Amino acid sequence: MAQITFEDLSLSFRVRKGGKIGWKDFIVQGLRGKGQDDDWLTVNPLRNINLSITRGERVGILGNNGAGKSTMLKVLAGIYPPTVGKRTIEGTISSLFDLSLGFEYDATGWENIRYRGFLQGETPKSIEAKIDDIAEFTELGEFLDMPLRYYSAGMVVRLGFAIATSAMPEIFIVDEVLSAGDAAFQEKAKKRMNKMMDTASLVVLVSHDMSLLGEFCTRVLWMDKGRIKEDGPAKKVIAQYLEESRQQQAA
Amino acid sequence: MTKAIAATSDYFTQIWQMRYFWLSLVIKDLRTRYRGSVIGMGWSLLHPIAMTAVFCLVYTTLFDVSLIEYAPFVLSGMTLWGFFMTVTHEASQTFLISQAYLRQNPAPLAIYPLRTTLCGSFHFLLAMLVLFVYTWVVQGFGNLTAFGYLLSSLVLLFVIGWSMACCCGILNVLFQDTQHLLQVFMQMMFYCSPVFYYPEMVEKRGMGWLVDINPFAACMELIRAPVLRSEAPEIQSVLFAGGFALVLLCTATCLLARYQRRLIFHL
Repeated sequence: MAQITFEDLSLSFRVRKGGKIGWKDFIVQGLRGKGQDDDWLTVNPLRNINLSITRGERVGILGNNGAGKSTMLKVLAGIYPPTVGKRTIEGTISSLFDLSLGFEYDATGWENIRYRGFLQGETPKSIEAKIDDIAEFTELGEFLDMPLRYYSAGMVVRLGFAIATSAMPEIFIVDEVLSAGDAAFQEKAKKRMNKMMDTASLVVLVSHDMSLLGEFCTRVLWMDKGRIKEDGPAKKVIAQYLEESRQQQAA
Repeated sequence: MTKAIAATSDYFTQIWQMRYFWLSLVIKDLRTRYRGSVIGMGWSLLHPIAMTAVFCLVYTTLFDVSLIEYAPFVLSGMTLWGFFMTVTHEASQTFLISQAYLRQNPAPLAIYPLRTTLCGSFHFLLAMLVLFVYTWVVQGFGNLTAFGYLLSSLVLLFVIGWSMACCCGILNVLFQDTQHLLQVFMQMMFYCSPVFYYPEMVEKRGMGWLVDINPFAACMELIRAPVLRSEAPEIQSVLFAGGFALVLLCTATCLLARYQRRLIFHL
């Protein structure tokens, strides 16, 4: 059964101010001993998150840039390990993040369907059974014979969405990419996600598109500076967020 | 202890489950390398064969050795050296070129060095085939009796290669100048290893220790004994190469365990 639980979850990591270190600096710093901490900056993108999402919920995440929305999705998908706290996931996950991720831009659309499918755990047999459906959903036709480097962002999102949802995952995670697709595609994507909800799914969606969040989501999390500021029914939280944005602009 | 064994076995199970993914990337890498080249797969043979030709031209006169014996000796050395360059210098880029996948899916890190090692192994085996054909034409099929030794050597070399690739890949993500330093180090090791000179030559001049303490020299013996001399490799070379493999394997395991979940923060 699809279920996501975060208990007192925080994420922090250190970033070196001057970029990556070389062996020479590393050895010199090692000999010097003290004074190295000044070179590092600790980032805390998520702080004390308590969250429980269960089967059938469609959760949207909104917030300003840098609020921790995308990081939250990466922790959900298991890409970032939590520094403190507990993350429990039950169910198969499929995700669609930044469009540059998980694709080989020199390879054709057909080849990328296979690579991405294999990355999601498909076998040659299972992917062959789905490949025509995936291709049909993308509506890319003969463009699938071309390397991805010639695709527009909208075409890549069609391909990525079609592959990521082809497995009918129990948990589907989408970052702010759907808006790259045209109106017809967005409608199609919403239909596909609605269909997924029929089969005991759970969708978590990050977006700046309030109408998409309002239409599709039942629950919305408002993230601010790494914390959940509000968590409640979609329409209510969206209205609060928009109101605060208006007040900030007015000020 | 039991926990560590269970975790290792679980890790290998995950690697095996992802086999279609990394195998498809290996095939893609090989295809990309040969795409557009007129002589196709032979392209990967060009470097070791061309270098062998140059060494033969210069050193058969300088060392006063027979071309028929020297040519397969250098070719075996160059072939193995090509593999070592792949699993060190080239493998140091492995996580950087695969970061689009690392940021998309929490798959075991070891599959990316495996991708580079398998590509290197393919080129290595292709050149070995040329070496075999040469020895069959010149010396007959005698070395087929030592094929079992060669197979064990190849397994050991694969462990060394994969472990090296894991270490170099992780270290290059952590320290940006690793690849450059590796290039310098490997160039130094090239001249310190019996790639194009016979080990006896340095031994005669009292420099035998250079070969004795060099694990790359032991690896060369693992290949040369069965293929060129149709015999089992010297026991001390096997033990040395085995120890080298063990040290590398332990280092790679420690680095993978430490950075499996944290490498993403350094990319």
